[in-house]
This record gives sequence, structure tokens and C-alpha cells, in this order.
Amino acid sequence: MTPASGHRGQHGAMMSQRMRIGLAVLVLLLAVLGIRLVFVQGLDPSGHAQAAVSERLRTVPIPAERGDIIDSQGRTMATNVERYDLVVDQRVVDDFRDRDEVSGLQTTVTLDSALADLGEALDEDPQDLEEALVGDSPYSVVKRGITPEERRQAMEIGIPGLYAEPLSQRTYPSGSVGGSILGFVGADGQPLDGLELSQQDALAGADGERTYEIAADGVRIPTATFEETPAQDGQDLRLTLDQDLQWFAQEAVAEKANQYNAQWGNVTVLDAETGDILAMADSQTVDPADPGETDELFRRPLAVTQDFEPGSTGKAITFAAALEEGAVTPTDAFTVPNRYDFDGQVVNDAVRHPTYEMTAAGIFARSYNTGTVMVGNEVDEQVRYDYMRATGLGEDIDIGMPSEATSLLRPPEEWDARQPYSTQFGQGYTSSVLHSISMFQAMVNGGVHQDLQLIDAYVDPDGREHPVDRAEGERVFSEETSEEMLRLFEGVVTEGTGDGAQVPGYRVGGKTGIAQAAGEGGGFDGHTISFIGAAPLDDPQYLVSVSIHRPQGHWQSWQVTDTFSDVMGHVLSTYQVPPEGDEDEAYEIQLDD
Amino acid sequence: MSTPAAAMPQPQSTPRAAAVRRPTLRALPKLHRRHRGLTIGIVGLLLAALVMVLTVNIHVSNTQYRVVELQAERQLLVQQNQALSQQNQYLESPQALSGSAVDLGMVMPGQAGALDLESGAVAGEAEAADSADRPSSFVQNPLQPGSEGVDTLDVSAAAAEAPSGLLGAGALELLAQPTPGEAESSDAAEESGAAQPSSEYDGGTIPAPSWD
Repeated sequence: MTPASGHRGQHGAMMSQRMRIGLAVLVLLLAVLGIRLVFVQGLDPSGHAQAAVSERLRTVPIPAERGDIIDSQGRTMATNVERYDLVVDQRVVDDFRDRDEVSGLQTTVTLDSALADLGEALDEDPQDLEEALVGDSPYSVVKRGITPEERRQAMEIGIPGLYAEPLSQRTYPSGSVGGSILGFVGADGQPLDGLELSQQDALAGADGERTYEIAADGVRIPTATFEETPAQDGQDLRLTLDQDLQWFAQEAVAEKANQYNAQWGNVTVLDAETGDILAMADSQTVDPADPGETDELFRRPLAVTQDFEPGSTGKAITFAAALEEGAVTPTDAFTVPNRYDFDGQVVNDAVRHPTYEMTAAGIFARSYNTGTVMVGNEVDEQVRYDYMRATGLGEDIDIGMPSEATSLLRPPEEWDARQPYSTQFGQGYTSSVLHSISMFQAMVNGGVHQDLQLIDAYVDPDGREHPVDRAEGERVFSEETSEEMLRLFEGVVTEGTGDGAQVPGYRVGGKTGIAQAAGEGGGFDGHTISFIGAAPLDDPQYLVSVSIHRPQGHWQSWQVTDTFSDVMGHVLSTYQVPPEGDEDEAYEIQLDD
Repeated sequence: MSTPAAAMPQPQSTPRAAAVRRPTLRALPKLHRRHRGLTIGIVGLLLAALVMVLTVNIHVSNTQYRVVELQAERQLLVQQNQALSQQNQYLESPQALSGSAVDLGMVMPGQAGALDLESGAVAGEAEAADSADRPSSFVQNPLQPGSEGVDTLDVSAAAAEAPSGLLGAGALELLAQPTPGEAESSDAAEESGAAQPSSEYDGGTIPAPSWD
């Protein structure tokens, strides 16, 4: 070995020594990294990979759109609009820099001037806005339910920390037309009353969900995870109501209730053949957009919620039962005094009158209590009770609203000494407007009773319709009895107590009623006046009921037949029923005395 | 040739050098032409694949931005559509119709007659409407969409662009300046369908409403 080579060998040994140390260090580092890698990738006790994915992963609910409520003609009564809640993270709000549009330079915008701009965009006082924007809260609502346009203007100002949360808001384009039937939803979108509440399952649908990964700029990474469960939109609800007719009826009954300064009034319009409710109008109606403004009484339809003694309109069932049983014919003669003692129970007429010789039809037309009991006594009380039950009295009526219409009618074995007589002229039991009009429906529709309908069909988002099952009509009276009842009803209008109900060009019939209204402490402290009638009598197609509760003034001055005539006239011309003439076929009422 | 040259200057190193050199020459063989083509081919293929993947990725990302853009545009259109529908529904509400009709001088219809098309007979007697019989207004007007901040300017601008020119607010403006005949038929159509035949067939049994 040369010295040179010996030096080199020494040097090489030293090098290899260093190399070994360096290698060892490298291997050590590699081992650390490797172990860490195995730890992170293989063992992963704290789920780093999952955490990374979760960081990018976004799961957003896809809200199902609530179904609309439409009327029988397809007009929208309730629908949804996109709105935003404007919220702010108060900790970030400050003066900010913005690019001046004219000069192109960055300028500082003071919070005050930004607030003034925001005030203009939202139509709010900047002072109030300052209260909402300045503070330490990370979440403060500036304004709820702003429109997309307001949102755009507000966001353009560029106030830091200000953002808009989208929401779907329920709107009722026709305001309080049919408001108590539609019901309303709370600020959080939860249904509170009316069809909105009772039909929630159909209207709401089912929310969906979308899961995806986003990049740092917030845009979805196209190749990464993407899962979507589509939302199932709610079904639309098609009602039997006619929105325009509903409005007309609301105007008419409001005018009448106003005239007599009554507590409430109701007009209900029914399709006599199908039992479809075309209008259910109250003297005041809640505006679903602002339910708190309306008295609680008027937040639900009165035809459903109020049951009261029907009074003389209830005489119709007494006569129909007597005719159907063959106990009486319309032209049978009766001696009708002003006051009569039936086995110790004295029945009076509302007005004093001389004793008349008159027909059964005449008793009905003039609405004499004494004569009615004479007619009704020809029928066994259990049989009469069965007829009352067959037309729906004493049973709840469910038309798909949150509550059912009730009627209180005890069976004969529970009646007191007076009820065998008082139930004959519409006292001693209660009936809602729906019960009364339903009872008349059976009488004018050839004796066939149809269940009342408010909901016509459920319509899927793709347009498929699911009509509501309609029960087959039930025959309560014969065709002949129905014919005779129509002529009795006509007598009321042509010769009796309901002469204001006439509609020129049509044969009209109905029955008036005045009942005492029970007060809260028991006893009677007011009246309910009503008229229920049908037209045209040649082939009855529509029924209109008018009820006014607790009118002020003297009872003999009250008339609701003019309201009936207005509404019925409107119904007949709107639905293009040709005027076939008003030649009446009423029975003789008075016999020569 | 290499053997004599190697043997002469340093004979002792010859076998070692030869032993070292020979495998070196064998380890780096001259590349065959077809092998080079293969390598270029593979590299080219790799490059092409890379470029393709890049292109596809860039395209997909760009499309993703386009999707976001289109979604924003769609949302805007949906919102405009909603604003217009709301305007439409408001104008369709019975209260607004009645109010507009009264503003145009319309009154409640009189009793209508009907014409039997088969027999040609007139059923019922048509009456002139009472010029003072205005509809009552007990039912409160619904909230007008414009008053809660929907940009009404946008709405009317959009309505003006509509093909028939008879949409939205434009319809009312048009109705405000009708010929007398048009005024009557729209009266009948809005207030009561049954009043229509009498005004059309009898050439105006209902006198034109007064413009007070």
C-alpha cells in the first residue's frame, strides 16, 4: 500500500463512518415517518382521514316544498315564496374598505353610511338597524322574511358579517278570503290551524338530503363523494271551495252582520247534489298572514265551531218525517190556535194570532209551533228521532278540518218532559250550520243524503290526482217526500215567512228560523236568525244557508232572506243556471174559516 | 487489438483491467433502434395520458363553475318568476279584482237573461244594472306584493317584454283605456259569467257604466 492509498483508505473509512452515521440518521428519520405513516394510515386512532374528509364534506338538507292549496277552479289560495332571514355576526361588523366605482380606488366606508344604505334597502330606520348590527353577539337577526330583491340590495352594500339565510315562506294571495278554512303557519313554518294543520301529512312532504365534498373555494369537487336523497314535495290540496264565491259570501254576510251589529254571521253554500261545500263564509275572517289581528272566534270557520239551537229551520225534519211515514199529507187540515196545551206542556207561537183553519203546508209556511207539534205528534218520537239521526243530527261531521262540527241530540229515552215537543220545532238540541244545511241537502236532493265535502282531491307534484273517496249517498226519504218538501219550502217563500228570499226568474224555497241563543251562564240572552233555502226547485242544485247570531234590535225587524237572495242570485248566474221561470207550485195554505 | 496494447505497458494490471472493462461494456449495450422507439412511445403515451387527465380535470372543474353560475342564474329566474306569479295572484284575488273593477267605473251586474241556443228562446228577463250598485268592501285587501319590497319596476319591465303584452300590470293599463264594447265584456267576464250573453247578443242591454 502506498501512503497515498493508505491516506485514502483512512479517509474512505472515515467517510464510510460518516456515511453510516448519516445513513443511520436518515433511516431513523425514515423509521419515524414510517411509523407515523403506519400510525396515521393504518391504526388511525383519532380518525385523521375521516376528519379530513369531514372537513370537506358538506351535508345539506333539501327542504321539501309544501303543497299549495287551490280552489275548485284552480286558483291559488296558499303557496310558498322564497324569502331570506337577514342575520349578522356582530363581532365582525365594522367600517370596511370598498372599491369606489367611479375612481376605482379603495375607500373606507363608515358603518354609519353603510347603515343608511341598508336602511334604504330594507325600508327600516337606520337607528333600529344599528341596534341589531352593533354588539358582541355572533348571531343577531336583522330582519326576517326579506324578499330576494331586498337581499340582493342589502348584500351589495358589503357590510362584513352580514349574511342571508334562505327560507320558504307561506303566502296567502287572497288574504282573508277563506282564511279560517286554510288556517295558518307559525314563523317557523309549523302549521298552527285550519287545513294547514289537519292536512299537514299530505302538504308537508319529506325533506331530502345532499352530501358532497367542497374545495377550499366552496365549489363542489366533481370527482369526490356525492350522495343525494331527493326531497319528496308535498301534495297540493284541491278544495271544493270557489274562491270568488267565498269572497262574495264573505262580503254579503259581513254586510248583514254589520247591519244588525251581530256577534257573528255565517253564509254557507252547498252543491245540493254532491254535498260539495262551495263557500263557508263568516262575517269576519282571519288573515292567515297575520292571525293575531283577528279575534279568536273568527280564526276557525263558524259553520264548524258553533253549534246552537236551530229554531224553526228544524221544523223541516219534523214535516219530512211525518210525510215520509204517511202520517200527514201537505193538504191535511188542522185547526191552529196561538197557544196549545199538549199533555201539560204549553206551546206558544211567536206572535199572537187568531185560530186558523189551515193546511199542513200552511203551518210550515207560517212557521207555527202549535201546528208543527200537531203534525209531529202524528209520528212516534223514536221514529222521528231516527230520521233526525239519519240526516246527520247528533253526530259529528268531519270535513277534514282540525275539529269536527258537533250537534247535541239526546235519544228520546233521555228527553225531559218538554223535549218531545220542543225538538219538533228546533229546540232542545243543537246543530251547527253544517248539520242544518246537510239536513236540508237530503230533503232537496230527491231524499238522498250525501256526506259534506271540503277536500276534493290530493294532487301529486307530478300532477297525478287522487280524488277523495266519496261515500255513496244514503236514501233517507222517498222521491215523493222530497217533491212534497220542495213545495212546502216554496210556500215559505211565496206565502209565508220567507218572502224576501225570492230570486227573480227562479223557483226558490227554504225555511226561516229564529231561535233563542243560550248564554254562557245558562238561560237565553239573544237570538240566532237563519234561513236555509234551495234553488232552482225544478231541479235543486244549490243550497244557501244564512245565519246571524245575536243581532241587536227587535226580533220582528230582522231579515236575512235578502242576503240569501243576493247570494243565491249570484250563485245561479255564476254557475249559469238558466232562469226557467218562477211560476210557483206551492200548496194552498189557508182554508176558508 | 486490445490484447497486445494491454500486455505491453503494464502486464500485471492487464487481467484486472480486462476483467473490469469487459462486463462494463456489456452492461451498457448500445440501444437498439426499436427499443428507443418503444421508450419514446411509452413516454409519449404517459405524457398523452397526463395531458388528457389534466384536460378532463380542467374541463370538469370549469364546468363545475359553470354549473354554479347557471344555478345562480336559475335561482334568479325562479325568484323573478315567483315575484311575477305573486303579482298575478294578487291581481287575481277577488278583492283586487273588485277594486280594479270599481276603479274602472263598473257596478254590480243586474239580473241576467239567458238565451237557449237550441230553441232560440230567451229565458228570464235581463235588467239594466243599477249604476250606483258598487260592491261592498268588508273583506280586507290582501297585502300587495309590491308593498313588501318586491321590485315592482323589474316586474313591469318583465311584463312588457312578454309576447302578448297583456300580462301583469300591463293588462290593467290596457283595460283603463278600452272601447265601450270591450269595457262591457270584461265587466261581464270579471263580475259574472252569466251576464255575458245579454251584453253580446242584445248589443248592450246593460248601459255602459258611467265614468265618474
